[in-house]
Amino acid sequence: MTRKASPTIALFPEASFGAALNCVGIAQALRARGARPVFICHAGFSGVFADYGFQEYQLPTNDPLSDSERQSYWQAFVRRHLPHFRLSPVDQLETYVAPTWQAIVDTAAQAEAPLRQLLARLKPDAVVLDNVIMFPAIAGASCPWVRVVSCAETELPDAEVPPYLSGLAADDPGRAAFEARYLAAVAPAHERFNRLRADSGLAPLPRGLFLEASPDLNLLLTPAIVRRERAEPLDPARFTYLEGCVRSEGPFEVPVFPRNGGPLVYLSFGSLGAMDVGLIQRMLAVFDRLPARFIVNVGGLRDAYRAVPDNVYLGAWFPQPSVVAKSDLFIHHGGNNSFCEALRFGVPSLIMPYCWDGHDNARRAEETGVGNHIGRDGWTEGVLERAILGLLADDAMRARLKDSAAQMALKPGTDVAAEAILSLIRT
Amino acid sequence: MQAAARRPRTNHLDLAQRILDVARQRGFAPGAHLPEQQIASLCSVSRTPVRAALRLLTEQGVVRWEAATGYRLAIDLAAQRAVATELPNAEEDELAEAILRDRSARRLDQTVTVSGLMRRYDAERKTVLKALQRLTEENLVDRAPGQSWLFRRAPDDPEAQGESYDFRLLLEPAAILTPGFSLDGARAAALRQGMEALMAQPDAAFDTREFQRLDIEFHGMIADGSANRFITDALSDHLRLRRLPGIYAGVNVFRLKQSLREHLTILDHLESWQYEVAADLLRVHLRLSRSQRPRAASRGAPALFGMISRPD
Repeated sequence: MTRKASPTIALFPEASFGAALNCVGIAQALRARGARPVFICHAGFSGVFADYGFQEYQLPTNDPLSDSERQSYWQAFVRRHLPHFRLSPVDQLETYVAPTWQAIVDTAAQAEAPLRQLLARLKPDAVVLDNVIMFPAIAGASCPWVRVVSCAETELPDAEVPPYLSGLAADDPGRAAFEARYLAAVAPAHERFNRLRADSGLAPLPRGLFLEASPDLNLLLTPAIVRRERAEPLDPARFTYLEGCVRSEGPFEVPVFPRNGGPLVYLSFGSLGAMDVGLIQRMLAVFDRLPARFIVNVGGLRDAYRAVPDNVYLGAWFPQPSVVAKSDLFIHHGGNNSFCEALRFGVPSLIMPYCWDGHDNARRAEETGVGNHIGRDGWTEGVLERAILGLLADDAMRARLKDSAAQMALKPGTDVAAEAILSLIRT
Repeated sequence: MQAAARRPRTNHLDLAQRILDVARQRGFAPGAHLPEQQIASLCSVSRTPVRAALRLLTEQGVVRWEAATGYRLAIDLAAQRAVATELPNAEEDELAEAILRDRSARRLDQTVTVSGLMRRYDAERKTVLKALQRLTEENLVDRAPGQSWLFRRAPDDPEAQGESYDFRLLLEPAAILTPGFSLDGARAAALRQGMEALMAQPDAAFDTREFQRLDIEFHGMIADGSANRFITDALSDHLRLRRLPGIYAGVNVFRLKQSLREHLTILDHLESWQYEVAADLLRVHLRLSRSQRPRAASRGAPALFGMISRPD
């Protein structure tokens, strides 16, 4: 391939903030190296990338929802799934995981034709796919493609790695039962997906898999401190581990609290978790009596809260990496982006997972001594209080995390990713 | 709230601000003589409060005292419009700020009572009343029946922010296009200088508060320039809401810098009297500033915009 002065890299993250924002980090590093990163985005995500100065191409949707239909969809979604987020991972398989895979297959099917047209028009030098499912149009594009594994490492199966979405330890005796139930639950979606692949001339994927490894380059957002030993190590020629993938944000000025003393704790369950108002209200009651300050992401629901404690500050959106950098503890849902940000700044995680790979990261945080986890349901005020105070007082964990963060800072994942992508184009 | 050991009286602070405004309007240069009698006359007050206000400005380094000639301006006001904001706050001003901060953080409900505020802030009744009076004058709260006050709606949730931008899209371009618009040249020059300095800051050290000040000042300058006083009043009232805490939170630095560049381009056209182009650019600027970030997203689900209802 001819070497271009300013190659066009099309980044295509799934429609979730975690994937979107770590792709922003990679795009920033690509731009700094003279490349031209552009974003292909799902309906509704345009504007997110433009705010960081990137050109966006929105995929048209066959079935655009009106504002009121979208509102109704989400109200129904939240009403249906909030109870499921309090179930164990295995009990979420039929209630949440299977219908979500069906919806993901729908998005892949809808995107196929417009994506094919867009890629033909854009003629990128590489496509970076940060998703959990393959889009056949990408395999058909006449350029290399890069897979970003931005979920937990469990997304790539291995005999020594616990099953994806299970929240189990690798040697858990319940492993086989979980895997069997997973395969049965997702089978209808998987069969549909393999038909879509066949229609596009792609070989079917084995049961349970929705995305193959790229033949060219695969980037794993798995910092060394939480990395797993694999029965079959990944080929370093094709698989590159990243020490997180944290975007650059502007500075964050810690607000003045009426009760302004003690360590700083940041709580964010992501945009979906922010809808769990009842849970956050219960947590605020505990925060009120703790000798710490709490910054809490409540999305667009600030008016759902009253008499907020004097050591709590609510906000709709934060420049998260800049907030985490100033925090002493990060309470989150186990989203891999949040987890990597906590590690990048040497901050312990208290993970309260609600779905997907949050369960896997919650388990891994405890196994590797970089945090703790508690379930979203069934905790008492005393359990939450002890978990927070325990992590804040754990100097050994903090020292270990700071050492790891210093190592991570030497090899920023965004830089490593950008270099690897550009090397791929130049070979 | 405990009063600081020595806190300037509000009327002296107000007068100090007025003195600076007068000096700026008249184009006083650094070193300009500030005769007490002339200042008193220009501000329609006696010499005694003028002396106190000038002392206050001296303590801030804005004015210097020379035994032979009296008070002289010590700084370049055209270059430093932020001077007034650095003056120490009066007790009721600090309380008013604390009330706004706590309302923004939802520590206070939309309705508050004097007795409730006295208890919360350990403040005297007269201080609370003065603070509420200040907030009332700024159209941030309204008196409600009994001893209660009601916070006006602020553009601090997605739905209200959308309405705020719709309102500004209607009126701000109209402020320019109404025949008779006039630009305050000194104010524009100071703003240009401030915005260029802020743009030069590295992203990691970007001063969002300074952006907030410049942004309000820029849009306030357009409102004040309108020949239609009702447009000026309506916009000034509304822009005051943008001083509330938290209004600028969540906008990233790239967009803020882009916004400064848009301000400068609009200013270019205002200064060259190309008002129709300036109004069009202002409309585009406001549209781009309106956040397009989805309020909720999850894999497999369509991204959600606008207001999120509280889940049942």
